[in-house]
Amino acid sequence: MKILGISAHYHDSAAALVVDGLPVAAVQEERLSRRKNDAAFPLQAIEWCLEAGGIEAEDLDAVVFYERPMLKFDRILTTALRAWPQGRGAFTHAMKNSLGEKIWVRGLIQAHLGVSRKKILFTEHHQSHAAAAFLTAPTTEAAILTTDGVGEWATLTVGRGRRTPGGATAIELLREVRWPHSLGMLYSTFTAYLGFAVNEGEYKVMGLASYGAPRFAEQVRKTIRRTADGAFSLDLGYFEFHTTVARSYSQTFVDAFGPPRAAWDPIDLTTEAGQRYADIAASVQLVLEEVLIDLTAALHRETGLSDLCLGGGVALNGVANARILRESGFERLFVPPAPGDAGCALGAALYADRVHFGNPDRAFPDHPFWGPSLEAGELARIADEDGLAVETLGEAELIARTAADLAAGRILGWMDGASELGPRALGHRSILAAPHSAQTRDRLNRDIKYREEFRPFAPVVPVEQAGAYFELPPGGAGLARFMSGVFPVKPQWRSALAAVTHVDGTARLQALPREMAPRLYDLLVAYGTLTGVPVLLNTSFNLAGEPIVNRVVEGYSTFRRCGIDVLVAGSERVAKRVWTPAEAAGMEIEA
Amino acid sequence: MLSALSAVHWLIWRDPRRRAENLLRFAEVEADGGRDLVRAAEVTRDPVLRKLFLKHALDEQRHADLFRSRGLALIRTLPRDTASGIAANWLTPGERGLDDLRVEEEGDAALLAFLHLSEASAAREFANYIAVLGADPPTRTVFENVLHDETFHMTYTRAQLDRVAPKGARRRIWMARLRRFWKAYLRLASGLAGLIGAIVLTLQYFIVLPLFAFHARRAAEKEAAGWSAVAPERNGRLDRQY
Repeated sequence: MKILGISAHYHDSAAALVVDGLPVAAVQEERLSRRKNDAAFPLQAIEWCLEAGGIEAEDLDAVVFYERPMLKFDRILTTALRAWPQGRGAFTHAMKNSLGEKIWVRGLIQAHLGVSRKKILFTEHHQSHAAAAFLTAPTTEAAILTTDGVGEWATLTVGRGRRTPGGATAIELLREVRWPHSLGMLYSTFTAYLGFAVNEGEYKVMGLASYGAPRFAEQVRKTIRRTADGAFSLDLGYFEFHTTVARSYSQTFVDAFGPPRAAWDPIDLTTEAGQRYADIAASVQLVLEEVLIDLTAALHRETGLSDLCLGGGVALNGVANARILRESGFERLFVPPAPGDAGCALGAALYADRVHFGNPDRAFPDHPFWGPSLEAGELARIADEDGLAVETLGEAELIARTAADLAAGRILGWMDGASELGPRALGHRSILAAPHSAQTRDRLNRDIKYREEFRPFAPVVPVEQAGAYFELPPGGAGLARFMSGVFPVKPQWRSALAAVTHVDGTARLQALPREMAPRLYDLLVAYGTLTGVPVLLNTSFNLAGEPIVNRVVEGYSTFRRCGIDVLVAGSERVAKRVWTPAEAAGMEIEA
Repeated sequence: MLSALSAVHWLIWRDPRRRAENLLRFAEVEADGGRDLVRAAEVTRDPVLRKLFLKHALDEQRHADLFRSRGLALIRTLPRDTASGIAANWLTPGERGLDDLRVEEEGDAALLAFLHLSEASAAREFANYIAVLGADPPTRTVFENVLHDETFHMTYTRAQLDRVAPKGARRRIWMARLRRFWKAYLRLASGLAGLIGAIVLTLQYFIVLPLFAFHARRAAEKEAAGWSAVAPERNGRLDRQY
């Protein structure tokens, strides 16, 4: 059975193709259109998925959209009505926004793909999140919690899933918290207040939180009250996201927390204002963690299960995830590589396959690499035209040379195989560097990523060695395979891993099993042999404001525009300059 | 004596907050334009153009940095609660980047013609701003630096257009001019349509919807905070949009 999943129209549009129960292709539209967070109907992603699967649109058995557009429109309209007369702006914006294209999804799919109406299905938004979290995880029975800004009406759901290998699958969502009470909107409101872009700057709030003390936690707790049944509700007096599109926080909010930060205002942590921003970030982070731990601990008591699958955009909060793993009572926590809306394309297709059509369960490959692959010879062609020497190397030599480059302090663009689904570079579209010195981190921020100083970089380490450098709780390595948890760096390694150790002594590590990305794993081992520390800095291969690179030509143009020293794409290697033997032998660290 | 247009520019640029906001807006536009040029470099099969587009993209990024730095420096000199008057952004368009051009869908010649016109237009605008910024030498210097690059961009795009389309360069430029005109019309038309739509919807909101709003609020008051049970029939039914 061939099923196409689609997510679109909010942020991070994507398409995924599932054939006979397994994904064959999945990609975010932004990787192809090169427009970051592209929310347009993902035509390019669909075309690529069909091409990768070798099928035409008429061969599809079903096309599944990741949410119910009419139910979402109902929520938007009702919200504007409830806010009358203050909701005028929200109403006009919502009408113009929704009536143009967003509620005519069935017609849109029919028009673009030419499939019959009967083949077009709709999951609920949080069903898609639940399926993306549960059906891709290596577990057969688990509690499920999904949480984001909002889907149709639900903002958070809990439930449970059960699969029988080769047999039936059940995903049952038991209860939900409904709009406008939303953990995602709480965090996004603080993101906007702190001057960052919503749906993109939440990472920055999490990074900034480490520099602050949660001295505003009591004020934040007043904005989100706990209900007697164990859920929560927002005190809407602090918010305006439900009444206007202009601002998500109210004057009451500003009275409580002080003047908001303007987007262009640099965060200087040596000033009183800069420290206040960090303290507010720390406070909302703490309260988010408290609520999530209470919810997940209650879910654990209720289900008695040992595994928890977490989905929705809030599941990208690695600090909260690590605390859930340590404190909720669950033994294992699974977060998919794309827990946000992009992953819903895959979730919707899998949900239709297993639950709607009742197809037998199949073990899901435990990796995130479902996107376009590299074209062999492409780097050689382009670099040659630009007069740069390209070397095509055998596997062993490539790994050895690359490890030597990294040990010599060079910064490397690394492209390998198919691209990742989701916001993180997990080893196929990465910028790699030695993790040892703060200067490397500063150079990356200044010359390559062009981003704020307070944002940390992540390490990658072979899973077997992760425990030697990081304090991982039981289940921590599993959570860290997709870089989904933030854990302490062991004190004795913090100075040797300065480039990847955040100000609070933690790191958002990737604990890499060899079977997931064998070449990167081998590179880590080779680097470890050279330096004594098999850890590398791994950050996404893109520049500020751009999507992660996809094709070789995009990696090459990024390489040419920033301070990356060496680019490796498949078996091809190009460097900006030729190093002398003495330079080539230089090591950045003294092991 | 100032011309009428210069007087308008002088009026717009004399307010330091608006000046700062314009500079920050220009920074965004330049950065966006730089990304489009990167895309153009990635798409073209012409190695000469690839190098020039990448250099051009780096220039645009540098301009973005210059505008942003100066805009931030100006903002820091202002009290936090100063508000500018009407933004009047359409009177100071600066550079429009590639004007929502779909780079992937354009041939090299069409893209060069479009770029040439865009750079020429930006150069004219920046020259106008320089003429009225005598009282703010640092901002004036920023525009002078950018203008110098724009002149190079105008020159290389024209020279490359002559190279890749030796016989049809003038026709390409006229076609690009017509497309710019068409896009300007579309911007105006969609702005007008948006305005009319907003007026009609606002009238609806206040005239037709109050009764529905009353019922919606009554219903909201009855909703209990906290958990809501998910009806079992919602699990698994995929044929409905609602």
